[in-house]
Amino acid sequence: MKIVLKNGLILDPSQNLEQIGSVLIVDDQIAQVGGEVEESDADEVYNCEGMWITPGLVDLHVHLREPGFAHKETILTGTQAAAAGGFTTVCCMPNTNPPLDDPALIDFILDKSASPEAGGVFVQPIGALTKGMKGERPSDLASLKRAGICAASDDAFPVQNAHVMLRCLEICRQLDLPVAVHCEDLSLTQGGSINDGAVSELLGVTGMPRAGEDIMVARNCMLSLEIGCPLHILHVSTWGAVEIIKQAKYLGAPVTCEVCPHHFSLTDEDMPPFDPNWKMNPPLRTKVDVDIILQAIKDGTIDCISTDHAPHATYEKDAPLDEAPFGIVGLETAVGVTLTYLTHRGILSPLETIRMLSTRPAEVFRLDAGTLKPGRTPIAQVTVIDPEVEWTFDVTKTFSKGRNSPYDGRRLKGKTMLTFSGGNVYTDALFSRERHSIGV
Amino acid sequence: MHLLSIREMETADLRRLLDLSDEMKSRWLSGTGLPSLRGKVVGMMFMENSTRTRVSFEQAARRLELDTTTFGVLGSSMSKGESLKDTVLTLMHEGIDALVMRHHASGAPYLAARCFHGPVINAGDGMHEHPTQALADAMTIREHKHRLEGLKVVIVGDVLHSRVARSNVWLLSRMGADVHLVGPRTLMPRFPGKFPATMHYDLAPALDGADVVMALRLQRERMGEGLISSLGEYASMYQINQRTMGYAKEDCLVMHPGPMNRGLEFDDRVPDSAHSVIHEQVENGIYVKMAVFAWALGADMPVMESIV
Repeated sequence: MKIVLKNGLILDPSQNLEQIGSVLIVDDQIAQVGGEVEESDADEVYNCEGMWITPGLVDLHVHLREPGFAHKETILTGTQAAAAGGFTTVCCMPNTNPPLDDPALIDFILDKSASPEAGGVFVQPIGALTKGMKGERPSDLASLKRAGICAASDDAFPVQNAHVMLRCLEICRQLDLPVAVHCEDLSLTQGGSINDGAVSELLGVTGMPRAGEDIMVARNCMLSLEIGCPLHILHVSTWGAVEIIKQAKYLGAPVTCEVCPHHFSLTDEDMPPFDPNWKMNPPLRTKVDVDIILQAIKDGTIDCISTDHAPHATYEKDAPLDEAPFGIVGLETAVGVTLTYLTHRGILSPLETIRMLSTRPAEVFRLDAGTLKPGRTPIAQVTVIDPEVEWTFDVTKTFSKGRNSPYDGRRLKGKTMLTFSGGNVYTDALFSRERHSIGV
Repeated sequence: MHLLSIREMETADLRRLLDLSDEMKSRWLSGTGLPSLRGKVVGMMFMENSTRTRVSFEQAARRLELDTTTFGVLGSSMSKGESLKDTVLTLMHEGIDALVMRHHASGAPYLAARCFHGPVINAGDGMHEHPTQALADAMTIREHKHRLEGLKVVIVGDVLHSRVARSNVWLLSRMGADVHLVGPRTLMPRFPGKFPATMHYDLAPALDGADVVMALRLQRERMGEGLISSLGEYASMYQINQRTMGYAKEDCLVMHPGPMNRGLEFDDRVPDSAHSVIHEQVENGIYVKMAVFAWALGADMPVMESIV
């Protein structure tokens, strides 16, 4: 089987490659990148003129909800959403029921995601940092690592006790296992639904102070510096967290961090009053935060973009704001929002955009992904993005089970057109038929 | 038309509701031609304990020949696990024409308004707004001062948790009053930038030259939450009493949305003094709700526009 992706702009940050050319995939392996490709004997040719050909995108932060919450999302629907969004590797969070603190559950995730219907997307489970995600005792992290976790985290249930965190970091340092942290001091944020600020005051909604995030970022950074354990700060949303991370990196702490598209494109002011589809944790902050985050994206303080894809059933979100669960879906809007708000506004070049969506996140969790170099991924993982296409996001027409998105109805510029992964091809409805020829 | 918040309403509509309230009052008192809403049914969802607001809405409905059906969370299908949205949809298909909703969660009436076909009237939602209370307050002030424009109105106490304050700042400032808020820092908005009001933390300068002082209810739970150190400490700093009334104008009105704690927000005398219009607020609350029903359900009637 020989597939040619013809005449696109090849963007591979892993080799600083940015050139017009073609990519050849033979038997699900990348055979050639760039230059002229012989297409007379190809089985399929995709004309990628005007489009980007990139390594498959990598999302370090998704909630696939299985086991336990299949009414919100399944590994199947979640990986289909990932493929539609251009992601070929996703790391799934352990806040399932039961939580992913047992090697047998890791086997379950890996088996299920390898099934033929799962879209060929590589699912990399993140193990629970503490048993039952209770923040009390470390999980059996060595066994979990042997079972195949790529990182450890208590994402939705942040470890409050600093001494417990210190012990976990010591264990993970020994295992050379990255620890991903949702930074939130619950004593400051309990009962809150949106950012603590002028908007929460206006609506009479309990706010979540930025300090609740800043304090925990500072604590975790200093513990990481002390122990030397790789630490990944999830979904940075405040200007204070950015400044603290910058300082921690300067001090030599092995710290990385990510930002979600909603935290660089939306603020609390944008929320229609009390709309639960705008409720996530950390919440949308203010313009000051967004401005500092945009700078930090530009100057490299922020390592990568992840979605925190967090689907919920509609009936769960159809509740008063303070009773609705946190979280929004993100896999199918990440490329559109990133290109619209970063690339087309000159914050990131096309190559840097793909670095933050693919190469860099793969490095953060040491994944075999994020590159077009032949043989460097288990199977060819390639995404084709049309950076210029303008489209309107319709949340009812997505693969995810979740319908909880603040971007519903929004015009975006840039969309994933093709995703090649694990022998599967996702083709977007907007990819015109004339561009695809079979058996030339 | 919904009545969800004062903040999002047009000033012209607010003015019209106040005029309509005055009209309702004069017609009721003179026994001449009230509009009839016979045949319409209002569902009264009280998802939080409330006596005065519920009775007031029921009285208003009765005077306009509106039928009401009242229920709370106990004894409704919500205690069987039905969602708020499904409860509202069920009521809609049972032929309810309008919904009055009291809810402990800020913004709950917005959820109802998104799925209900008729008007939704917010009867107090969490810490967000209490529009009919503010209308009754503004009506009462206007009756006594014959204007709102240029009056110094001081709202005292637990502003942070107060839906009454969150409605009144908008209504009174839109009508041209000079609104001041005062309370301990722990019970005041920390980000007041969007409120059309002046913030104070000491009572004396806030009350200086006040035309109206409105004390808010202090809930005793605030002590347990560590927001105030003791009731005595609070009273020593923010109580409206014969001494602190000395800072205000001589003809200053004293108001309270109720239920009040005598000895805490007020001393023994002030609520019963000549300054107090607390009982008129309650009475006017009924006329305001009559006006809101007529406005929302389209039983409009000619009204003498006030010059206020």
